[in-house]
Amino acid sequence: MKAPRVFQLTALALMLVSVVEVGWWLLDQHRFAVDKVREMHEVYAQQVTAAQALLESGAGAARVRALLPEVIVTNQHAALSPDVDRQLLAEEHRHIAQYAWEGSFFLIALAVCIAVIARALRAEARVIQEQESFLALVSHQFKTPLASLQLSLETMVMRPLSPEHMRALIDRMLADLARMEGMVTQILESMRLDRGRIDLRREPVDLAGAVARVVAGFEERAGRDRITISSDMEHGLQVMADPLALDVILRNVLENALAAVAPIGGGTVVLTGRRAHGEIELGVRDSGVGFRPDDAQRLFQKFSRLHPGGGGSHFGTGLGLYIVRRLMHLAGGRVSAQSAGVGQGATFVLAWPAAEARHESSPGATGGAESVAGRPAGREPS
Amino acid sequence: MTKSSGTILDGDSRPEGRGAGTEPRTVAAEHARRILVVEDDPHLAAGVVENLRAEGYTVESVADGRRALEWLAGSSCGLVVLDVMLPEVDGFTVCRTLRERGDNTPVLFLTARGDPADRVRGLEAGGDDYLAKPFHLRELLLRVRAILRRWDWYQSASAAEGAVLRFGGNEVDFRAFRARSWNGIAQELTEKEAMIMKVLAERPGEIVSREDLLERVWGYDVFPSTRTVDNFILRLRKRFERDPSNPRHFLTVWGVGYRFMSEDAS
Repeated sequence: MKAPRVFQLTALALMLVSVVEVGWWLLDQHRFAVDKVREMHEVYAQQVTAAQALLESGAGAARVRALLPEVIVTNQHAALSPDVDRQLLAEEHRHIAQYAWEGSFFLIALAVCIAVIARALRAEARVIQEQESFLALVSHQFKTPLASLQLSLETMVMRPLSPEHMRALIDRMLADLARMEGMVTQILESMRLDRGRIDLRREPVDLAGAVARVVAGFEERAGRDRITISSDMEHGLQVMADPLALDVILRNVLENALAAVAPIGGGTVVLTGRRAHGEIELGVRDSGVGFRPDDAQRLFQKFSRLHPGGGGSHFGTGLGLYIVRRLMHLAGGRVSAQSAGVGQGATFVLAWPAAEARHESSPGATGGAESVAGRPAGREPS
Repeated sequence: MTKSSGTILDGDSRPEGRGAGTEPRTVAAEHARRILVVEDDPHLAAGVVENLRAEGYTVESVADGRRALEWLAGSSCGLVVLDVMLPEVDGFTVCRTLRERGDNTPVLFLTARGDPADRVRGLEAGGDDYLAKPFHLRELLLRVRAILRRWDWYQSASAAEGAVLRFGGNEVDFRAFRARSWNGIAQELTEKEAMIMKVLAERPGEIVSREDLLERVWGYDVFPSTRTVDNFILRLRKRFERDPSNPRHFLTVWGVGYRFMSEDAS
């Protein structure tokens, strides 16, 4: 039997036993109170008999009342005061009410404790399930480059190859290793983002400069895949962002754009920067494979891969756009994607607060201890 | 199943598709060594393609499931090496669609999803074999060779005089994967059913062990147990025996395997 089921059955048994126990207490107390009242009645009856005997022996009514205050004397006839009856009844009710309240409180406290424990267990089970699912996905992501690496090595062992072919296989293996390294980096970045302990600076950053720097890193690959990258940036665009996080965002968005264009044998990627409604917008338009409009949100989910990977040098991990969305959110910005459909290209729009407009600290910077892309920051060394 | 009064070779009311069309489905000689590789990872695809070409196969490659289905609708090949997690249309769907079209081209799944449940899913979708990534090159080549050898055997055994089997009022066309049972009902045979029948029919009256059937029809370690063979035999009895609980043609030899009797065994 699974642990949650055992817990549920145990909690149910505990609740049932507790309800029975409290019920038994109430019954027992009621019986006890009734017995006590009956005993008191007998005692008072004896007092009345004694008072009557005193009266009959000639004692004065005042004398009898002084000796037995719970007895009233009317016309030489002794009787129990009605107040005594009321007091006894009230005492009986008080006893039962006390235990009813205490029992109810005990049951409610127990139910609340069980609910809290169940909630904690469920949350823990969910975390474990997510971790297992994450591990399964990550290991699956690694199997393909591993298979490619193994295939290249076994080809080299098994077949006589020309130096050119050998060189090509070595290049392929190096690319596979670089791919796995990139995957590790992306996985670590996404895990840090998931933990929400990211230390982001908020400072004015020149967007055009950042774009130019990242684009330069992709030029060789773009040339190889027959992709033209161009940018049209308004002058002096300053965004409030973390410089390194901005680089990660731009790198992932460009990576995605190139991956979308490479399979169709080449095309264009155009970056456009402008001011709009107090924000700085960067549009990244590609002439690539596009996507169904319904998939616009799914693109940003973890391990979501919509592009066919064939052609050129594209290897998606399905984490790039997820990282972009999380980092943009932490930077107080937003990202969206549009496409008219498969084969129609796509446009990604990123919007940051303009540097002139806002200078307050980042919402994601609170309690931060780690860094993006391995930069040392905060309390924790990277 | 549809009622049919004519012979199975009449060609009327046959489904569209290359597997059972008007022309009996045969893997033409020039296509028998042609392989389609469907893999979205360019490096892995290149490695598989290069190695298959080095073995003398003619190899084509596409990177997603939709293109694979388009290619297969217009061309034929002897084997499809098919990744499961593909863009557009996943590999299981590609295989299932092929089978629904009546296309019995063998499929070797090549995928990172190697757990038993996925293997079973792949085989249920109509796959012939399943190889998990990362894999050994020699194993890949061995499995490719084994699948093609089985198909070569089936195709050559089903040619000319071996194309049609008649027994107990039943008629089986091995090339078209069609049959007509004793009560006149037209039957569509799966590739495995046809291959099992072929193995049994090659040795009428002889005992064929379950292991032998597994080896000849599936290859070595695709299925975990010989129980699978028993299930297929039950299906064949339901199709072709007048009384499946008292079989006259597909006889069980307890503890060993099966014996096929083309004449009534009573």
